[in-house]
Amino acid sequence: MKPLTFLRLAALAALATTAAACGGGSDESGDSRTVTVYTGRHYGIEPVFDAFTASTGIEVRFTAGSDPELRERLVAEGDNTPADLVMTADAANIELAAAAGLLAPVESKKLNDAIPEELRSAKNEWFALSRRLRVVMYSTERVTEPPSTYAALGDERWSGKLCLRPSTHPYTQSLVASMILNLGADKARAIVDSWVANKPLYINSDTDILKAIAAGDCDVALANSYYLARLLAEEPATPVAISWPEQDGTGAHVNVSTAGITAAASNPDEAIELLEWLATEGQKTFSDANFEYPADPDVAPADVLVSFGEFRADLAAVRELGRLNPDAVELLSRAGYE
Amino acid sequence: MVVVAALVAIPVAVIVTSIFDPTTQMWSELWETRLPGMITDTTTLLVTVVAGTVILGTGLAWLVTAYDFPARRLIGWLLVTPLAVPGYVAGFVWLDTLSGPFGPRGARTIWLCAATMILTLYPYVYLFARASFRSQGSDARDAARTLGLGPVRTFFRVAFPLARPALAAGGALVTMEVLTDVGTVRLFNVSTVADGVLRVWFGTGSRDSAAELATTLVVTAVALVAIERGLRRGARYGTRAVTRPMQALPLGLRGRTVVLAGTSGVLALAVGVPVVRLLVWSQEARRNGATATVAGGLWHHLSGTFVIATLATLTCVALGITLALLVRRRGVAGRLISRVSSLGYAMPGPVVAVGAVITLAAFDRSEVLPNGSVLVGSLVGLVFALTVRFLAVGLHGVESGLEQTPANTVASARMLGAGPVRIAWSVEIPAARTAILAATALLMIDLMKELPITLLLRPFGFDTLSVWVWQATSESLWTQAAIPSLAMIVIGMVAVGALLTALERGAELTS
Repeated sequence: MKPLTFLRLAALAALATTAAACGGGSDESGDSRTVTVYTGRHYGIEPVFDAFTASTGIEVRFTAGSDPELRERLVAEGDNTPADLVMTADAANIELAAAAGLLAPVESKKLNDAIPEELRSAKNEWFALSRRLRVVMYSTERVTEPPSTYAALGDERWSGKLCLRPSTHPYTQSLVASMILNLGADKARAIVDSWVANKPLYINSDTDILKAIAAGDCDVALANSYYLARLLAEEPATPVAISWPEQDGTGAHVNVSTAGITAAASNPDEAIELLEWLATEGQKTFSDANFEYPADPDVAPADVLVSFGEFRADLAAVRELGRLNPDAVELLSRAGYE
Repeated sequence: MVVVAALVAIPVAVIVTSIFDPTTQMWSELWETRLPGMITDTTTLLVTVVAGTVILGTGLAWLVTAYDFPARRLIGWLLVTPLAVPGYVAGFVWLDTLSGPFGPRGARTIWLCAATMILTLYPYVYLFARASFRSQGSDARDAARTLGLGPVRTFFRVAFPLARPALAAGGALVTMEVLTDVGTVRLFNVSTVADGVLRVWFGTGSRDSAAELATTLVVTAVALVAIERGLRRGARYGTRAVTRPMQALPLGLRGRTVVLAGTSGVLALAVGVPVVRLLVWSQEARRNGATATVAGGLWHHLSGTFVIATLATLTCVALGITLALLVRRRGVAGRLISRVSSLGYAMPGPVVAVGAVITLAAFDRSEVLPNGSVLVGSLVGLVFALTVRFLAVGLHGVESGLEQTPANTVASARMLGAGPVRIAWSVEIPAARTAILAATALLMIDLMKELPITLLLRPFGFDTLSVWVWQATSESLWTQAAIPSLAMIVIGMVAVGALLTALERGAELTS
């Protein structure tokens, strides 16, 4: 290519970019209704949005990313954010967003009726849409007496046989936050120390953790309930089962998928409509899409979840996970948890 | 253009200036907990990967330039193709492959992480070393041989030392890639400083602390490059006149067998294994009907990748040309702008992304743009952030090309009455055109592979192949990541072909 042609191309590109910029912000046509979503939950979300569009005619535009990255983007964008609704896969990140003043409180009878009080923030800035349990998973081939508490994973009989998710992940952070709340920082630290002493194999994927149990690379592990449901749907013979932890105490650790309306939403009505739909009509579609327990206790969970049996869940901790998140992160660092 | 170049420096400055107001509590806490481990991991990884890429890259470059063997041209070309394999793709393929023989615990080690990185990064050194060996000509090698040195000692005593500036250039690129990688290391549980930046940022929500840690990374990178330059100061590498171009020596049967086995072994590990495993997985994905995301199929993501990579590449090249000319014309000021705006290359992608968002959001708040348009989340915003990250690649490529025009040629042109723009347009840029083309191809490869910035800043409706790969791999769905990964490798191969064509032409022009 001759340099002149090349430069002309470059200049054209710069022009095109500028044009795209000026078009970019003002593409909202007057008649079609849309809602813009930032979602940290990116599995099985699209069919749910499609169902919403089919039912209401409101189009959903969304950007997927990790919870904390999207939160940082929201912070930076401030009043100019295109996002109307934020969805996360974890209670801590949405609470941190609420604490930073990024979310608007929502008064809605529909939401208040559907979502139990402990599964929404004190000021109704966010609402849980589904529950997932972080539970003890074990090999049904090699383990006859699975651990029945989180602390029991620190027992030295699991030395070298324990699989955990790294502390970079919100699921690990929120579990430790709930232990700090329920047991105090010192006891929580002692438990995390005992896990670390067992030289866990850190795997940054719950799916791979369960496969590692099946393959014999570890005997016990912590993972979210729906990953087992998903795996069983693919491989019904997977020799992995749930041991519900803390059933004589506070109950198994609950984390939630959440959503909240941004304080700067430019389509607040559509966003509230989507939020209400997810909490009511869309509850079952939303939860079943990822084998999660619906946040509304009156909505029936998927069949495979029914087969997991009844259990006691630690609902009381959900609202506190965000507040205790920094403490949990520091505790994990000090304990040398990878 | 100059203004735009200065704009590019802002996101970097936003991050770097944080160091002037340190959060001491974060540093003492980090020092007591993860920092020592991060420093050890970063150092180990950096030393291993740089050493590995330099040895592999130079060794292979020497073989294909100094010796003649069957399919030499083809192999010389193929040895560049690992550039087309994104590090995180090689990472998950090798992690899964090695988990078989080594077990999941044995596979997640810093050494296997380093090995994966060496296999994807050595072409940077290889390209520079090969160009250098070619320009050395045969004289030095033949003299060494006449004086009785064997082939191995000739390489170490003559060819290797003469190629040192080229190796430094390749090594610097590898250093930047290793220091800023946040995709491959996390797969292997390697806890580097770049990974630590994200840990601090997203674990504590403290942007300032993360920015400070990121700054130490930038300072380290700059210092390493400066030290290397300092060590070389005063040494002269040019063989004054190359009388004969490099003549490849024929090899005996044994030599040929060794060379063919060695080169094809490297190719099998760097490209063969990933491509074969991805092909198998993509067949499986096809059987399961997982050949598209809900956003769209292959075409949708392919066009997204193409549009974003092209726009960002052209922007980086255009700015690179402007800046490089500025550096030549206005010494200090130009050099300062050019150096600061290159720093983005020493920062992890997510850090650049957030630096860019802060800058763009401040701009949006000032409401300069008409009818409520905003830059955050627009195509311009994304291209801007990508330019901040990769401008250095374009800039340095162009700079090396401009050196083709000697200062006295410019002086003569000026005496003949040509203005600076005219000189640039009709003398300097035409002389640099192959270097500019090479930089363009290199940028296409880098930008097509880019993930964290695109993921965070892409406009609605824009999905790239790398985003597709991320969506699948963040849930460990390797089979679903296979089709977009293969598509990226194919595009990368085309760009590698363009790169090599440009380099070949450049070599012909100078010889």
